[in-house]
Amino acid sequence: MTIIESNEEVVLRIKDLEKHYGMKNVLKGIDLTVYRGQIIGYIGPNGAGKSTTIKILLGLEGDYYGKVEVFGEEVTEKNIDYKRRIGYVPEIAELYDNLTACEYLTFVGELYGMDIKRTDEKAQRLMKVFGLEEVYHARIASYSKGMRQKVLIISSLLHNPDLLFLDEPLSGLDANSVMVFKEILAILAAQGKTIFYSSHIMDVVEKISNRIILINDGKIVADGSFNELKEQNKEGTLEQIFNQLTGFNEYKGLAEEFVSIVEEG
Amino acid sequence: MKNFQTLRFLDLFRGLFECFGINYPVMRRILTVKLTMDGRRTPTIFNQNAKKKKKPEENGFIKSLGMYVLLSVMLIPLVIFGENYLYQMSIFYGIVMFLVMTSMISDFSNVLLDVRDKGILLTKPVEKKTLNAAKTVHICIYLFFLTGALTVAPVVIGAFRHGILFLLLSLIGLILVNLFIVVLTAIIYYFILRFFDGEKLKDIINYVQIGLSVSIAIGYQVLARAFSIVDMKISFSPSWWQFFIPPIWFGAPFELFLSHHSNVYLIGFSLLALLVPIIAIVIYSRMMPAFERNLQKLTNNSGAGKRKERQWKNGLINIICRSNEEKVFFRFADNMMRNEREFRLKVYPSLGMSLILPFVFMFNEIQMNSFAHLVSSKWYLAIYMCNLMIPNAVTMLKYSGKYKGAWIYKTAPIQSLAPLYSAALKVFIVNLFLPVYIILSAIFIGIFGMKIIDDLLVMFVTAILYTVICSNYLKGTLPFSESFEDAQQSGGLKIILALLLMVVFAGIHLAATFIPFGVVIYFILLIIGTIFAWKLANRTVWNFS
Repeated sequence: MTIIESNEEVVLRIKDLEKHYGMKNVLKGIDLTVYRGQIIGYIGPNGAGKSTTIKILLGLEGDYYGKVEVFGEEVTEKNIDYKRRIGYVPEIAELYDNLTACEYLTFVGELYGMDIKRTDEKAQRLMKVFGLEEVYHARIASYSKGMRQKVLIISSLLHNPDLLFLDEPLSGLDANSVMVFKEILAILAAQGKTIFYSSHIMDVVEKISNRIILINDGKIVADGSFNELKEQNKEGTLEQIFNQLTGFNEYKGLAEEFVSIVEEG
Repeated sequence: MKNFQTLRFLDLFRGLFECFGINYPVMRRILTVKLTMDGRRTPTIFNQNAKKKKKPEENGFIKSLGMYVLLSVMLIPLVIFGENYLYQMSIFYGIVMFLVMTSMISDFSNVLLDVRDKGILLTKPVEKKTLNAAKTVHICIYLFFLTGALTVAPVVIGAFRHGILFLLLSLIGLILVNLFIVVLTAIIYYFILRFFDGEKLKDIINYVQIGLSVSIAIGYQVLARAFSIVDMKISFSPSWWQFFIPPIWFGAPFELFLSHHSNVYLIGFSLLALLVPIIAIVIYSRMMPAFERNLQKLTNNSGAGKRKERQWKNGLINIICRSNEEKVFFRFADNMMRNEREFRLKVYPSLGMSLILPFVFMFNEIQMNSFAHLVSSKWYLAIYMCNLMIPNAVTMLKYSGKYKGAWIYKTAPIQSLAPLYSAALKVFIVNLFLPVYIILSAIFIGIFGMKIIDDLLVMFVTAILYTVICSNYLKGTLPFSESFEDAQQSGGLKIILALLLMVVFAGIHLAATFIPFGVVIYFILLIIGTIFAWKLANRTVWNFS
């Protein structure tokens, strides 16, 4: 495994992280250091422990073993100040959807300690960029999936965070919005923001991340840039590398079985 | 978002919250959002006749308080007549506890059970302590208004009647009762979540909501008779089994202090009233973390559903459904109606009502004449009252919480959608109407004797015919294809017309009973008419694409 050399400041450091749910070990010793300005593609099969890691980093899950530091401060239940510098887009579009976008976004801004007028104005302008100025005062419950996702993205960036956790942030967005958003991520990273990007869509991860971390069964099994992973594994695409490293090679057999059942009539 | 009066009042206690290390501005902001969202919900108590013409932003909850004030009138005679405190005040607290608790479960469960809070709020710089304080204050605000609406009138009038000590005891009692209720609800949820999954809990909440709707409706029936029911002569002496009935604990201090009856039981009850809520709060705060952990179960519906094969239903399908398509739709509609909570919430209360209404009318009759007189009369026709649920329930068939799934009808290769209607109506009759009918029939035969069997059969066929006629209200929309949000439940005129028709049917039946063999002839005519109507509807009303 390659450790990317960097003189930049450390944003996030995880050491020997373990987490158990009852008898089940979800995380079995994660070691990870993330530097400023990196876009990290955090990938792995369902149930590998991706969301659990992110939840621990956000302080949503306690009772873990190991050391977790964000911006040099240890993550504990008492310590909430580091959250001011974090933005989060959850995998499931959870928001208070009987509020209007205006109400929801100003609320979130205020939780981060922003001034309400300033948040309102900023939120409105951001909504406009995403083409949503018309529905700014409509209830989120009436939005389409893509529109909700855009509101979530805006709410994660309102307070200009230094570290972003994005869990499947593109779901529901149309191709044009995807392009805009990818560009936004590139610019943010160039400005020195750190992005933790978790997704199942390998093509996107391959293109936008400058460091890819593959986690399988609670352990990190690959860590490096896409080119490095390609050299190590002698495979052409991230998808193939993913299949290889997670030990999944029966996809052809499963597909054939599936179709043959379909055709039984 | 507006500035809530309640919160301005809360501002007075800002220092107190900050004493406990709570971030007051953040807590206040969370409360503002919560109260705004509450304003956009319709409380269960309104379900029956909610008009969806949204007035701009007025809190449905505040309006529902009006209903509770009305109910509180029922409590006044309890408080002012007589000085049999233990009996009167126990009933008073019993009713208050019941109403507050059911309303808490039906309308406020989402506060206790909101799993979004964690993901949305705790990822922001918000301390857990502040969030918990916000939740607690939110519940307190709600309980304050609810209890207030329910008890201000009786307590104030009671204070005039019994003096200032009464006022004091009532207030302390009510605060303790509320504490007790919050903790009790939380503990019940805790145990349900511990042993079952979130779906089960949602089902249970659903049934409580239905129960609340029914009992409020019955409450209004009882309201009129409250004065005659309250029998102050009942002698009510304390004994050991009353230790298990919480309302009695809260009634005891009144007897103890106002009537100066002191005995071991009364002192024991009073101590329980004071200590149990306090102990409960302590246990509750200890259990909080475990409760939160169990809450996560709400989001994952891991419970592998057991599939219940219902033999009798499979047999029934083969008898009453002719085409294969109709059988398919029958199973589908059966599953939809049994599983959909929102549908149950809209329809089941009227099932409960139709079970009870016939007896309300007969009760009047018994009061005026005698039971023997009732048995020999033609009051068994009161069973027609249970048809009242049909127009409402049939109109509800077109709604579904998951109405967006209706595209499946359009994409599936089906010739005509008429079988969908006939299947949905058949499911309605089998699943919803039949149980009510059978229960009522059994009771009616018990009261009036076997001689009314032919009348009951006539009534059953009439109900089917009536269902077909009511299905006109479905015209132009597919079953389960529209959102409940659009439900114009007021459709007043239509429902009234349908009810008038019911009276006409009952009238014809009554007339037929005076003619020799009239009922039998009417029965045969009805069957022919119903078959004809069903076929006609199949070709006209239900058939469109």
